[in-house]
Amino acid sequence: MPNEILSRGITRRAVLGGMAGAAALSIAGRAFAAGGEAPALAQLVKDGKLPPLAERLPKKPMVVTPYEKVGTYGGSLRRGLRGSSDHNGILRMVGNQSLVRWNLDFTAVQPNLAERWEVSGDATQFTFHLIEGVRWSDGHPFTADDVVFAIEDCVKNTELYSSTPAQLAVAGKPVTVEKIDDYTVKFTFAAANALYLENLATPLGQHPTLFPKHYCSQFLPKYNPNLEADAKKAGVTSWTELFRSRCGDIEIPSRWGNVDKPTLDPWVVKEPYAGGATRVVMTRNPYFWQVDTAGNQLPYIDEINFGISQDVESLMLNVISGKIDIQERHISVLANKPTLSQNMQKGDYRLLTLVPSASQQCQIYFNITHKDPAMRKMFADKSFRQALSMGINRPELIDIVYFGQSEPYQAGPRPTHPWYNEKYARQFTEYDADKAGAMLDEAGYKKGGDGFRLRPDGQKVFFSIDVIPTLYPDLVDALELVKTHWAQIGIDMKVNTIERALYYTRGDDNAHDAAVWPGPGGLDPMLDPRDFFAFHPQGSRYAIPWTLWYTSNGARGEEPPESQKKRMKLFDEARSTADLDKRGAIMKQIFDIAAEEFETVGLCLAVGGFGIIRNNLRNVPEKEPDSWSWPNPGPALPQQFTFTS
Amino acid sequence: MLVFIAKRFLWMIPSLFAVSFLAFVLIQLPPGDYVTTYIATLAASNEIVDQNTAAQLRERFGLGDPMLVQYFKWMWGILSRGDFGISFEWQQPVSDLIWERMALTLVLALSTLIATWAIALPIGVYSAVRKYSIGDYFFTAFTFFGLAVPSFLLALVLMYIAAVEFGQDVGGLFSAQYENAPWSFAKMGDLFSHLWLPVIILAVSSTASLIRVMRANMLDELPKPYVTTARAKGLSEFRLLMKYPMMIALNPFISTIAWLLPNLISGSVVVAIVLNLPTAAPLLLQALMAQDMYLAGAFVLLICALTLIGSLISDILLALVDPRIRLE
Repeated sequence: MPNEILSRGITRRAVLGGMAGAAALSIAGRAFAAGGEAPALAQLVKDGKLPPLAERLPKKPMVVTPYEKVGTYGGSLRRGLRGSSDHNGILRMVGNQSLVRWNLDFTAVQPNLAERWEVSGDATQFTFHLIEGVRWSDGHPFTADDVVFAIEDCVKNTELYSSTPAQLAVAGKPVTVEKIDDYTVKFTFAAANALYLENLATPLGQHPTLFPKHYCSQFLPKYNPNLEADAKKAGVTSWTELFRSRCGDIEIPSRWGNVDKPTLDPWVVKEPYAGGATRVVMTRNPYFWQVDTAGNQLPYIDEINFGISQDVESLMLNVISGKIDIQERHISVLANKPTLSQNMQKGDYRLLTLVPSASQQCQIYFNITHKDPAMRKMFADKSFRQALSMGINRPELIDIVYFGQSEPYQAGPRPTHPWYNEKYARQFTEYDADKAGAMLDEAGYKKGGDGFRLRPDGQKVFFSIDVIPTLYPDLVDALELVKTHWAQIGIDMKVNTIERALYYTRGDDNAHDAAVWPGPGGLDPMLDPRDFFAFHPQGSRYAIPWTLWYTSNGARGEEPPESQKKRMKLFDEARSTADLDKRGAIMKQIFDIAAEEFETVGLCLAVGGFGIIRNNLRNVPEKEPDSWSWPNPGPALPQQFTFTS
Repeated sequence: MLVFIAKRFLWMIPSLFAVSFLAFVLIQLPPGDYVTTYIATLAASNEIVDQNTAAQLRERFGLGDPMLVQYFKWMWGILSRGDFGISFEWQQPVSDLIWERMALTLVLALSTLIATWAIALPIGVYSAVRKYSIGDYFFTAFTFFGLAVPSFLLALVLMYIAAVEFGQDVGGLFSAQYENAPWSFAKMGDLFSHLWLPVIILAVSSTASLIRVMRANMLDELPKPYVTTARAKGLSEFRLLMKYPMMIALNPFISTIAWLLPNLISGSVVVAIVLNLPTAAPLLLQALMAQDMYLAGAFVLLICALTLIGSLISDILLALVDPRIRLE
């Protein structure tokens, strides 16, 4: 393609200033007004198959400052997915177009499809002003009607969503969205929702911009009287199935399985992610609404090619043989680091550092609400937990399992976070087997004849810790070491490696003795406080029944003790506090109480993963947060990634 | 003969029912169901699934019904409208997902069969006729080595060499430009140009045992009086070998045709995953892991049906080839 060669050839001049790039592009035989567009699109305009750029862009398109320099058009970016349920691998790369977005540092919310907004003083009303003239990928205008439709008609349709997504409901009542004018929408919550903007910037905040009214309304009974017949014709059992298969949802594979669904993403699906697919190809969206500082329409890169590997090893092979342009997902475990470092020259890539947003690499949750009263009494004994924590030789564990890349840690925000709490993070992390033994003696767990301790009721102290080897193999290694450390202080433990669904079933039935999971909330303590109090019905595994009590407003589960109730109340208060300093003060109270209660036992600070970036792929930050709330690499704006020849 | 075939076909019906029911029960046996797995996936990304949502999903997928009811609904759908149900994970009709994969699996299975026989038959006969010769020892050692090396390891090593040393594209069964193209002769050619690697890997492990079987059977036949008689009558050595001993020694080859497919699917799961083959095995494994039961069930049902058909074919072939076998 001669055009591509031309546009590739102007790289160096493009750096000198926007107009140089644009001027060089004009060599490719096109007239332009503000900025450039991809040569292939320019050709389509010339052939009369596409409206000119000025008509495709908003009046004032959102200007994105390239990370290093203004880029050049062209190229195909190769990235890997896993075979099953890896739809979020696509979401992280392209599907990040919400009303607002995170900045690169994961500290502030920035405009995106909403160019500005107002928040009422009590944090119940949010008024968003949409960028005027944005179009869906099929050229249809994106307006307030789409946002109202997405929430009022789709998300609040109880047949489609039996309960409103947690994001959009406060105090048990769903949000109300009204259209003020074509480009202004107002969200009204039943109670204060101070964190709404932060939540809106996470993937789960994408509902308002997910469903184009002109396309998705044909799958709602309200707009289509013949819907049941259509569903039958499509071979599905109900209209909700049809809606889901055509319009998808935030986190289901079918979101990427329909080439006809218009989106607002930089690239749109060309070869869908469907059952049995061996690759997914996405191609540039000709109506994408962002430009670079020189006025050139983004994205720079023509298409994204996701190869689907059934096996991580074959993905690694592709990486080290230079067949992948940017990858961190699936290969970021520490065990791969030596291989990837050795092959940097062969694969012609550099390493990408991921800053973990989690707090704890391996949080041990003893089930304080165990069904067996004797076990419950043991786990609920704070000095028992403290002794076990001091019986772990963390430096050895960090050296062996984590190559020395971590530090002893319990829980709470990471040291770099302004709300860091020294006591909460570091207490009982020093290794002292003698002291641990003495504490256990004092608590009534005396050693028996075989050197292992007995409970006051004469039974041997023995429990199993659930872990999912397929998901977090390092936690299995860590637990095996902990087992040897605890054996030295007379505690017998079984590392219970189980399948993922069973892990959750056991948790739901409150049938586990203890379980491990990486403790979140290191950089985003408000978004997932599961370790700070009984907040998460699948995640706060030290007291699932208490979480049910909390999420059902006391209707289900088991009533928690006062210190938990107090934290629940404080957190609800923090959630409705708009002022960041006040919010921090409330959260700090929660950390103080949590430090006092010492419910979970952590091993070490969450370890950063890493990825690779091919050397010819530029404008990529080489350090980025690693989080589901900051769905890397999306917020680093892949639409401004660019290839140099 | 026709009566025999008709009878066998009738017997297939209850066998298929029994097998499909067993498969359905087995898929349901692990704790939890698709919704549990789905919640597990969501929870891993910190989304809280409301209990109501979970209940509603179960209702939507009919997971709340008793297992027998679910089974009969599923079977009724297949028998009445050829509807294998919906894949939970993909929100697509199962029938959209299985046919192409099954077809490619059959192509791979047949190619592997042909390759295995093409290697094993001549070597088996040679090893028997030239017992304890250098060649016999060489082939024996070589095939035993093939038997001992795990096929997935062989696949990984070959992929590594091809990818890192020769910079070739490895994995999959098609080149990029044909991957999602409609079927054409060019695409067929592309398929066969990719097929040799998995076929070799899968064939290497199965030739050894067939060579040993062939060799032993031939050694049983060669000293028999009819061979001596034939030799005395002046038959050429080649015709003599082919006429009777070979036919009789072929018996185990033919009778194992039916096992080929299940063996290939279960034995090649790891290879298919490593090599990224778009065959049934990886999709079946995923479906089982995600407890996507209609998808998994449909695969198991088809594999069983093919196995039954395969065993019928072997019986008919045996009757044709081996004069000692009579159907009555």
